[in-house]
Amino acid sequence: MGAVARTLSCALWGLETALVTVEVDVANGLPHFAIVGLPDTAVQEARERVRAAIRNAGFEFPLRRVTVNLAPAERRKEGTGFDLPIALAILRATGQLTVDPDGLCLGELALDGALRPVRGAMPRVRRALSSGIARAYVPLGNAGEAAALGAETIAFRSLRDAVAHFEGVTRQVPVDVPPPAQVPPPIADLRDIVGQETPKRALEIAAAGAHNLLLVGPPGTGKTLLARALPSILPPLDPDEAVEASAVHSVAGLIDPDRPLLVARPFRAPHHTASHLALVGGGTPPRPGEVSLAHAGALFLDEFAEYQPQVLDTLREPLEEGSITISRAGGAATYPARFVLVAAMNPCPCGHAGDTGTECTCLPDAIERYRGRISGPVLDRIDLRVHVPRVAYEELRDERTREPSAVVRERVCAARERMRARGRRTNAELSIAEVKRHCRLEDSAEALLGDAMRLRRLSARGYHRVLRVARTAADLDRSERITGDHLATALLLRAAA
Amino acid sequence: MIALHPEDAGYPAALRDLRPAPDPLWIDGDPAVLERPCVAVVGTRRMTPYGERVAREVAAALARSGAVIVSGLAQGIDCAAHRSALAAGGSSVAVLGEGITSFLANARGRRRILAMELRAGGALVSPYAPTVPAQGWMFVKRNALIAALAGAVVVAEAPIGSGALITAADAARLGRPLFAVPGPLGARASEGTNALIASGAARTCLGPDDVARAVGLTPRSAAPMTDPLLDALASGPLDLDTLARRLGLERAVLRPRLVTLVLSGAIVDQGDGRFARGAG
Repeated sequence: MGAVARTLSCALWGLETALVTVEVDVANGLPHFAIVGLPDTAVQEARERVRAAIRNAGFEFPLRRVTVNLAPAERRKEGTGFDLPIALAILRATGQLTVDPDGLCLGELALDGALRPVRGAMPRVRRALSSGIARAYVPLGNAGEAAALGAETIAFRSLRDAVAHFEGVTRQVPVDVPPPAQVPPPIADLRDIVGQETPKRALEIAAAGAHNLLLVGPPGTGKTLLARALPSILPPLDPDEAVEASAVHSVAGLIDPDRPLLVARPFRAPHHTASHLALVGGGTPPRPGEVSLAHAGALFLDEFAEYQPQVLDTLREPLEEGSITISRAGGAATYPARFVLVAAMNPCPCGHAGDTGTECTCLPDAIERYRGRISGPVLDRIDLRVHVPRVAYEELRDERTREPSAVVRERVCAARERMRARGRRTNAELSIAEVKRHCRLEDSAEALLGDAMRLRRLSARGYHRVLRVARTAADLDRSERITGDHLATALLLRAAA
Repeated sequence: MIALHPEDAGYPAALRDLRPAPDPLWIDGDPAVLERPCVAVVGTRRMTPYGERVAREVAAALARSGAVIVSGLAQGIDCAAHRSALAAGGSSVAVLGEGITSFLANARGRRRILAMELRAGGALVSPYAPTVPAQGWMFVKRNALIAALAGAVVVAEAPIGSGALITAADAARLGRPLFAVPGPLGARASEGTNALIASGAARTCLGPDDVARAVGLTPRSAAPMTDPLLDALASGPLDLDTLARRLGLERAVLRPRLVTLVLSGAIVDQGDGRFARGAG
């Protein structure tokens, strides 16, 4: 006599998902337990966990021929999330569970039958919801993620809990939608930064148009403080951005179980010893890197010139495409990576080139080599390059009130509103055709741009990038037309004048 | 690349002042430029923004007056002078302290590009056979060659102990008019040049015009700069905010003006958010 049972789960590659039917056949024959359907090592090991968990939860593991198939069978399945659906299907096939579980099942089993949370619950629940499956059975540790997306979430502590729920012995009630997290207070406020008017304006343009920014200046002039003030002027996350960014964090296992949805834009600041795996992601299975964790937010790379040049060059694809595809022998994973890059560096190895008061001790060739560590293609994608000078003592003593971040943020939000009206989230995303359509220049601006092009200060790529930045400068001024000053700002910030 | 011997036609006559004259003299580029009036602009590798600006302005003005700018293609002042002469449409000659092939094989970055431009817009010259690699002692011979080739020598900026002072001593020995650019008192980078002036070994360089006259050229300096914006940049590059504060201008007014000046070449955007005076 053979018996087949089915439960439903979901496989994950990067953020790509597919529903998986877990089929279990229990047949007469020598005792045997096999999982087919391209399981990876972690899924293969489910055999040992499931066997022990079923026994230790007080059920009986069949001493018969047990075959598990993960369908569709042609793509590799990763991770430990299939433990719960496999165990439930075995119990169903052997009659120890008399009801068919009717939703998405997800969870890792401990040997004693307890349920452990898994990485990447959020994109999988999102997939189920979009396929019309409204109910999710998940470990307690993943309950918040599933409930935040609006799924009817039943959370279990153990396999025994799950069986008791399905059999109607002790019904679990759906988990409440977790309350939104508090927006954390920003680390730095623009009000606290003295002077630095042009760097501040560059920061504002970067925040509004999602243009990349490079801060160059001697040590101790406030480059890091400026960068850390960026979150205080970034607009709030859109709901769909929040879900996507949270999904990446879910895959990385960085979700706070009680506050699963991100409310503030991520601000990632990896150290300059980061490897390219840490920066763009990788490993088997491919995990998201810092560029993806910064998705919808900002990536701050301090001491930009101290990064390995090869590591910096891996930024080219995410900076251009807004996503990163990590290909490994076992398959490829694509993660979103649309972020504002804020980089900071010293002007030379000793840090004092152009400094007031302290003499630079570097030879010109050494300075050139130092700056050459940032490759041309990477530098070309940084639209705003600004010098952060040492602030004079008189300025430090200046007690006049400075503009707080909240005021700047309002301007940024208003500018984003204008961008949205053109059909794009930010000006950095404008296509070449859209640049042509939306960047109307006043005569004075037209003349400046013509001169810059004639003198070959701008490549074709540079031309469009300058126009996008000028568009943002105009949007911040609530101006439909781009004036000579807007264009001059863009040219000067690109060092392309 | 050609090798000229002292008895050859086209061998620079000025070099016969050297005992012994380099034999042969290796030239990569146009040997004819060596026949024209030459001015050497030399100085320290560790230049300050002031030294860089003076070297650029003097070299550009002399190049426009028709002088060939001779220097040693070292980092710092040498490169600034070569680059500025070529940018002003003039010719420039680099005297190397090693074989020309050896130099080109080892040069990197912007200095390599400059060497290539010098081959097209002047010449690379060396007393050493093409493949001889550089040794510390070889540069003394190079410095003497620079002084001998030049009708006048300008030391733009040099601290005590700078190799440029060896060139200055050679110039004095060979009887070449020697000019030194005065620098601020207390600035280490100008102690050597100030000492040259104080001891009477060098004439004070008050601009390119005296130097041009010393080699028999009619000065053709650019019109004097009257823009206060250019004046504000005299002591070194500044960022936009500092410029606006110094000039008392609104940034929105300053920005388009700055872009226009940068596009005209009067101001150079350094690429790090600061602006320097162009060679004008």
